[in-house]
Amino acid sequence: MSRPGFVLEVDDRTPPLVVHEGEGFRLETFPRGTRVVYPPESLPGIRDADGAIRRALLEPTNSEPLPVLLTAGMRLTIAFDDISLPLPPMVKPDIRQRIIEQVLTMAAAAGVDDVEIISANALHRRLTAAELKDIVGERVFRSFFPQGALYNHDAEDPDGMLFIGETDRGEVVEINKRAAESDLLVYVNVNLVAMDGGHKSVPIGLAGYKSLRHHHNSQTMVNSRSFMDHTKSAMHHSAWRMGKLLADHLKIFTIETTLNNDVFPDSYGFLMKREWEWGVRDQASMLAARRGLAIAPKSVRHNLYQGMRAPYGLTGINAGETEAVHELTVAKVHQQQMVEVQGQSDVLVMGVPYVGPYNVNSTMNPILATCMGLGYYFNSYRGQPVVRKGGAVILYHPVEPDFNQLHHPSYVDFFEEVLSTSTDPAVIEAKFEQQYATDPWYIHLYRTSHAYHGVHPFYMWYWAAHAMDHVGDVVWVGADRKAVERMGFRAASSLQDALEMVSGTVGRSPSITYLHNPPHLIADVR
Amino acid sequence: MTSPVVHVAKHVLSGALLRGARQDVRTVARGWRWGRRSMVPRSAEPYVPAQTTEPFPTAWARTPVATVVRDGLQRFGLRPLMHSGITPTVRGLDVLDQLVGPVVFVANHTSHLDTPLILCSLPDTWRRKTAVAAAADYFFDTWWRATSSAMVFNTFPIERRSGSMSATPGDLLADGWNVVVFPEGTRSPDGWTRRFKPGAAFLSQTQQVPVVPVGIRGSFAAMPRGRGWPVPGRPAVTVRFGEPLLPLVGEGPREFGARIENAVALLVDEDATTWWDATRRAARGQTPAMSAPDTAQWRRVWDQTRPPVVRTTRRIWR
Repeated sequence: MSRPGFVLEVDDRTPPLVVHEGEGFRLETFPRGTRVVYPPESLPGIRDADGAIRRALLEPTNSEPLPVLLTAGMRLTIAFDDISLPLPPMVKPDIRQRIIEQVLTMAAAAGVDDVEIISANALHRRLTAAELKDIVGERVFRSFFPQGALYNHDAEDPDGMLFIGETDRGEVVEINKRAAESDLLVYVNVNLVAMDGGHKSVPIGLAGYKSLRHHHNSQTMVNSRSFMDHTKSAMHHSAWRMGKLLADHLKIFTIETTLNNDVFPDSYGFLMKREWEWGVRDQASMLAARRGLAIAPKSVRHNLYQGMRAPYGLTGINAGETEAVHELTVAKVHQQQMVEVQGQSDVLVMGVPYVGPYNVNSTMNPILATCMGLGYYFNSYRGQPVVRKGGAVILYHPVEPDFNQLHHPSYVDFFEEVLSTSTDPAVIEAKFEQQYATDPWYIHLYRTSHAYHGVHPFYMWYWAAHAMDHVGDVVWVGADRKAVERMGFRAASSLQDALEMVSGTVGRSPSITYLHNPPHLIADVR
Repeated sequence: MTSPVVHVAKHVLSGALLRGARQDVRTVARGWRWGRRSMVPRSAEPYVPAQTTEPFPTAWARTPVATVVRDGLQRFGLRPLMHSGITPTVRGLDVLDQLVGPVVFVANHTSHLDTPLILCSLPDTWRRKTAVAAAADYFFDTWWRATSSAMVFNTFPIERRSGSMSATPGDLLADGWNVVVFPEGTRSPDGWTRRFKPGAAFLSQTQQVPVVPVGIRGSFAAMPRGRGWPVPGRPAVTVRFGEPLLPLVGEGPREFGARIENAVALLVDEDATTWWDATRRAARGQTPAMSAPDTAQWRRVWDQTRPPVVRTTRRIWR
């Protein structure tokens, strides 16, 4: 039986608590009275995942069974969430592989010949062949990749995009042409957090800049309260409008999956436990891991972390009509991640771990660290933010100014050129976004190499816009001072220093809440 | 860029590895209370999972060899140690002369002193054949604590959270062992007795063995919860054994449990006053309750931390 999440109040019996900070973690002693939000324990995974997938395809929600939708001679496109999900990547076989294999088995039985499989990476980097193979499995890869029928979505291909129309708010809906012209689009989703899935899948995953700019902008992001609640998120409202328009033009069969909270492999099992329940083995593992990471060269540490695979268990799978399916999905995600928190606090503390959606097999640069902390983790709430308006946020991450030149070329220029001019999301959007979004070199790298689109760092910055608008102070513990100064923040060497620095904003005895994340959680702030 | 080998070598040779390790070990030793009982933050207590581990085996502690070793430990180790910290007075042992074991000793429980007090008060023949029921989640949570308590005190685990008695006490009584039971389930936080659970009465009824009530006075004042050693000054503590009780025909565990509780209360009252006064009060149904009065916590603790007055003058009736 999985125990629910809860809010710990630090007292004299509380041992030091784990705080993630990039490719490492520390043990932090929090002031007494600090609230610590622990996620629910992992729900048991479905034992017969293949059986559950089959049932979902044969008994979908608000839709005919998949075999009925498959007919000989039809054009079938299967799109799937790219490498940004789940985090960390899951142990093989990936759940997407299992689903795609069953969809293809049904398609083969129905005599469908024209099948293409697309990684729905929007403006993310193209996946390498090995990464595609990791997700879809060897059998699917061998059957489709050499023939060019398994590929990455290219949002900058002038012949590969199709204008569908405009929403009643004038938002352009343009998606992948092959998907749009198919008789059936099957979308395979991994719903790691409540923000994912629903109409965020097709209208965003298979779209291009012309569509994305309508919701990926500072104004929309500031008005999304929060991303984890699609009913209160301006970004999701826009995506929903686009999705409804798309649904009138295209038959979409959505398959959404939910995962449990088994984020770390067994060797790092202590990171999944509540600290006071650590046994001798957990304490020894932690000490060994701490010393090992301290002694390891940076490259070894990086490879160690990036090689980590999460033994996620499947907690649910639903298929059928997008909106109906998504409601079931969100309920399951909430069951796994929701924790009730009473009231806001003056200070919010978060540890930013080593991986985010955009640095899988890559480097978490300062902009991605900001996006992860002030974007995703800050927005991991429902109701109201965990920290009060004008409060302070304290983050842990080294924030080293390291950039992966292959994956994040435009990030380097964004960091050096744009952020040195302004850190205000609205200002940089007005002044620089168009230039980066249409830069031919960035577009070339996006299309032919493995680079994120030129506009991508802007979007990362916009993710943090709500937090920057809401809080009065942001301090990074253990961070590179120059790097965080460039981004308009401050650095501290310890929690005590950070609290001292924010005392001008929140006073000398502020209420503090620490989100013990990962594993993933959503704070339901009442 | 330095090679990984050079990096590691530098780290080791500079002493950073050792310094960091020392610092980490110190942090963990302090935070996780090495050598002491681990504690759960108060706000996390409702979320502590129920123990599902197999009971710790204690049959080895009742083998003839272990019994001989324990006899030595108790006579030459535990008893002198106890007498060095407190001044025990034992009364009413004559009741045991009328009995042939096994019996269930039932006592009030306010201190870790209670178990050694009872054991060291018993005549040697009784002591060697006596086992003590101990909370599985407290005394059997680690192998070393379980082994040492089973060796020295002849403890065996009972599950107190589930409210059901483990099968072991009945087996022990059937094998001829006397069993010490503290029916409150835990030490009193303020020195006053909590309500007795009916487990001991049930045990007596099912095994058809008598219950010997034991009243302990002064152990809370000598070594309350939170202390690992008695307070200075060798405080006085009294242990008084009462007349054996047997379940009456048609009497349920609850009724019999209440009768046992009254008998223990009578012993405590008798110890504080005289047998005659206590007996008369009992006849009038006015035996002072052992349960805490409805006063402030500090007053309850204050009252119970007063050392008992032990009469040394000879009395006709004890």
